[in-house]
Amino acid sequence: MIVELSCSYRAEFRFANLLANMPISRKCVPFTPFDRELSKSTIAIVTAGGVHLQDQEPFNIADELGDLGYREIPADVDSSRLMVTHHHYDHRDADEDINVVFPIDVLRDLEGEGIIGGIARKHIGYGYTQQLKAMYEGTAREIANEIDRGSRADVVILTGG
Amino acid sequence: MKGISTVLITISPEVSAQMRPPRALYPKGFKIGNSLGRPGMRSLQKQVLRDALELLNQNTRPGDTVTLEYPDYGEQYEPPRVKKL
Repeated sequence: MIVELSCSYRAEFRFANLLANMPISRKCVPFTPFDRELSKSTIAIVTAGGVHLQDQEPFNIADELGDLGYREIPADVDSSRLMVTHHHYDHRDADEDINVVFPIDVLRDLEGEGIIGGIARKHIGYGYTQQLKAMYEGTAREIANEIDRGSRADVVILTGG
Repeated sequence: MKGISTVLITISPEVSAQMRPPRALYPKGFKIGNSLGRPGMRSLQKQVLRDALELLNQNTRPGDTVTLEYPDYGEQYEPPRVKKL
């Protein structure tokens, strides 16, 4: 049986129980509408660019299958204490200025200018993995839970490498 | 309310489109590793992030990627293509 969702949160909600027991349709886009003001909204960053704090365990780049873990990055992080561990893109520019993949200082500028309401308590970095099913079914859900429970974010900005 | 609104900034629009992101911005010609622009180009980085956030208030079609051009970025790069089987 194939369920094709219309692209709205309400439809997603209505079919939630149905979906719990079947693979999600490739045509489904889990779209959450935005009905707030940006100037009153709190923003979190989730990046696949291998970003983490210098004193956190680096992502495992020795294993070609990659690393399914993620690292939490606090809102008040000093961006000079962030680094990249990723072996599938050239991150020399990010080494020089982490904002090219993890725009935490840019968010601070937008907050200072009143364009956004605030910066979320918690941000997430994760690295390269070939284990896409485990990422989709495991890590991605854990990250969503971290954001949902711990970050108090209204919006998530997603970046790759 | 269940769910959090997201915006993807992608420099591989063909590749990311396969995952059908709810909202996505492709800053045209940026290379991989430069999602927001080049190092130190804070005003460009700010413009890209603002444009991405503005997609929240626009009537974008879920799964579509919006392409914008940023001449200040300089040299342009071809994005990776999806290999056709």
